[in-house]
Amino acid sequence: MTATIPTTSREAPAPQRRVNAGSRKRWRYLPQYLAIAPFFVLFAVFGLYPVLYSLFLSLQRWDGVGPMKFVGLENFAFLLSDSVFWDSIGNTLLIWVMSTIPMLVLAMLVALGLNSSVRHKGVLRVAYFLPNVTSIVAMSLVFGSFFSNEFGVLNWFLGLVGVDPVQWLNDPWAIRSALSIMIIWRWTGYNAIIFLAGLQALPQEVFEAAKLDGAGPVQTFFRVTLPLMRPMVLFSVVMSAIGGLQIFTESQVLLGNRGGADGGGLTMVLYFYNTAFADNDFGYGAAIAWGIFVVVVVFSVLNWRLVQRPERGAPDTKGAGR
Amino acid sequence: MTLTRRSFLAVTAALGATALGVGACTSPTTANPGKLTLWYSSNGLSEKVLGEAVARFPERHLVPSKVSGELKQRLLAALSGEAYLPDITMIGDDISTYFAAADRFVDLNSVGAQQDQDRYLDWKWQAGRTPGGVQLGFPIDIGPAALYYRHDLFREAGLPSEPDEVAAAVSTWDDYFEFGKRAQEKLPGRYMITDTKTVFTYSLAQESKKYLDKQNRYLSDQSQVRRAWDRAVQAFRMGLTAGYAGNASSSGDSIDRNAAWSTGKELSFVSASWITGSLKQAAPNTSGNWHLCRPPGGPGNQGGSFLAITRYCPDPQGAYEVVKWILGPENQPRTYLELGLFPSSPAVYDDPQLLQPEEFFGGQSTMSVFGAVAKEVPAVYFSPYDITISDTYTDELTNVESAGKDPDRAWDDANRLVERLLRRQGVLA
Repeated sequence: MTATIPTTSREAPAPQRRVNAGSRKRWRYLPQYLAIAPFFVLFAVFGLYPVLYSLFLSLQRWDGVGPMKFVGLENFAFLLSDSVFWDSIGNTLLIWVMSTIPMLVLAMLVALGLNSSVRHKGVLRVAYFLPNVTSIVAMSLVFGSFFSNEFGVLNWFLGLVGVDPVQWLNDPWAIRSALSIMIIWRWTGYNAIIFLAGLQALPQEVFEAAKLDGAGPVQTFFRVTLPLMRPMVLFSVVMSAIGGLQIFTESQVLLGNRGGADGGGLTMVLYFYNTAFADNDFGYGAAIAWGIFVVVVVFSVLNWRLVQRPERGAPDTKGAGR
Repeated sequence: MTLTRRSFLAVTAALGATALGVGACTSPTTANPGKLTLWYSSNGLSEKVLGEAVARFPERHLVPSKVSGELKQRLLAALSGEAYLPDITMIGDDISTYFAAADRFVDLNSVGAQQDQDRYLDWKWQAGRTPGGVQLGFPIDIGPAALYYRHDLFREAGLPSEPDEVAAAVSTWDDYFEFGKRAQEKLPGRYMITDTKTVFTYSLAQESKKYLDKQNRYLSDQSQVRRAWDRAVQAFRMGLTAGYAGNASSSGDSIDRNAAWSTGKELSFVSASWITGSLKQAAPNTSGNWHLCRPPGGPGNQGGSFLAITRYCPDPQGAYEVVKWILGPENQPRTYLELGLFPSSPAVYDDPQLLQPEEFFGGQSTMSVFGAVAKEVPAVYFSPYDITISDTYTDELTNVESAGKDPDRAWDDANRLVERLLRRQGVLA
């Protein structure tokens, strides 16, 4: 569309006519532009502008009230040498790994269970999906009493089987485990539903062939089901990476803004939130946000490569499938 | 066809331009033009008193507006955009954050606040004044500290149990720790101190200097911080702390602590007056068993808030009259009885209504303890960075207490982080 305007205006000799023709052409398409405008207007106001403004903010020192002071790249220099920021990246990745691997295994088991002939499939499916639509804040409050050190339900159960109580919220590794458990609880059902859909779409002939060839259930799962389910598993990994890099609410409600003992639950986003909105250090907060952006970009590239791979290794998967 | 389209477009463009123009001009500076908007957080002011203020000053058109969530975030956003601002707003104990933008608030002295100054605690009044002398905040409430303790358990163990006796036995932090050791020997499995954080916080609250001076320069003498730190570490080393520090949720509540109150595991704790409500709610079964006395180490304050008038308010004088009435000594007792907001006006401390014996505290009058403490609190400058600095120290104390970190390393780490913070903020070169 933009190309047509210069072409017509080049044909027009008189400058006055050129303006008229050009503007008339431009006006002609206004309804179309108006029709697609809402998205772009909203995006510009609520997406683009904040992004650009945060870039501007990251070069300032600003407490949100007084005058801004331009500090150049100082915030970023601080960020690179900020051990707390690096720790928060480490925490985020640890919690992501600690939650995603068990979650995928559990989700696969649940999906296999639902896929085999059990009764009340519909009810079970809804039940497994429920945690996902529960408010995270409400859930974190419940988990708070669940993990409570001395009077928590979990420690009471551990006591019943003779295990010493764990200081769930006082030890950095226990904190990370607790957060992982919350994430697993929330997302297992969601992924199980996706896996179930994938399982139901698999061609039955392959399984019949495997059965004829004398494969047991375990062999069938590892040699047939899992390779065929690869796209679904990759989808879940990518989705959980997107969610995992943004872990915030669970930590904040369970542990407060500072991330608990030894900063064990201080994720990247929580550190950003705490710096910007609790300490009112908006310039540095914006710099942290851009630090998070870089981490997310790195992960997106890794994910993209992971998703691209099956095409390259296609003959291999096919071979395994057959 | 083209004509109609052109006219249609012209009309659309005209409408768009009008909308833009109107939008740019009508975004009002104050939230309710022609009215007096007052922002307060939930439980920040008595709704009964506010309701009466509306009726009492009909010509001011007062509109109290309870801000759900973080009032501060909303205020910062409104200040940045210079739109939808309140005429009167509540501000927390981090009032010094606004000192750099004092020109956006009304100097209360310009509307006659000096005349009312004498009716309020001097240290609190000073806390609402900028280093340049602008009176930015009008005192709402304060948070005088006291030692809460289980009178019944102390008595059973043969320890001093009447407020005067206990106060005498715990007059310094060292005395308190020694007393705690004795108490814990007699009552094993129970604790005298919530966590290292409370020791650090309330020890520092008793000092007349904190981290920065009024010009926001880092004090060269930080011995008061070291003193508070050493006391906290000492309490931990003596095994007096229960260690409920790390697991306080964002709301500040801790299930373990609530349970420790109702089971009697927490024998005593130092806290500001505003904890009473939570204590009553969490441990109704212990009613009558608590007493309180002057805190170890001396009087200190924690928390409290102010009302401020923004410069966008068209009628600061009228707004001030309303503020003065809402927070006047005649209304503070009602606010205290309704919400537990401790009066900032010392005249109220002798109010017979507030000196009534309280059932929850075994017939003790808590006002007599808190009132005496409140009058003696040292005036101290609370800098915009104080909360972050204190959090840094108490985070490291939590690491010592619950993650087994070496105290010396924790102290070095805390100082390193504080130094980094202050360099980033331009306080340190």
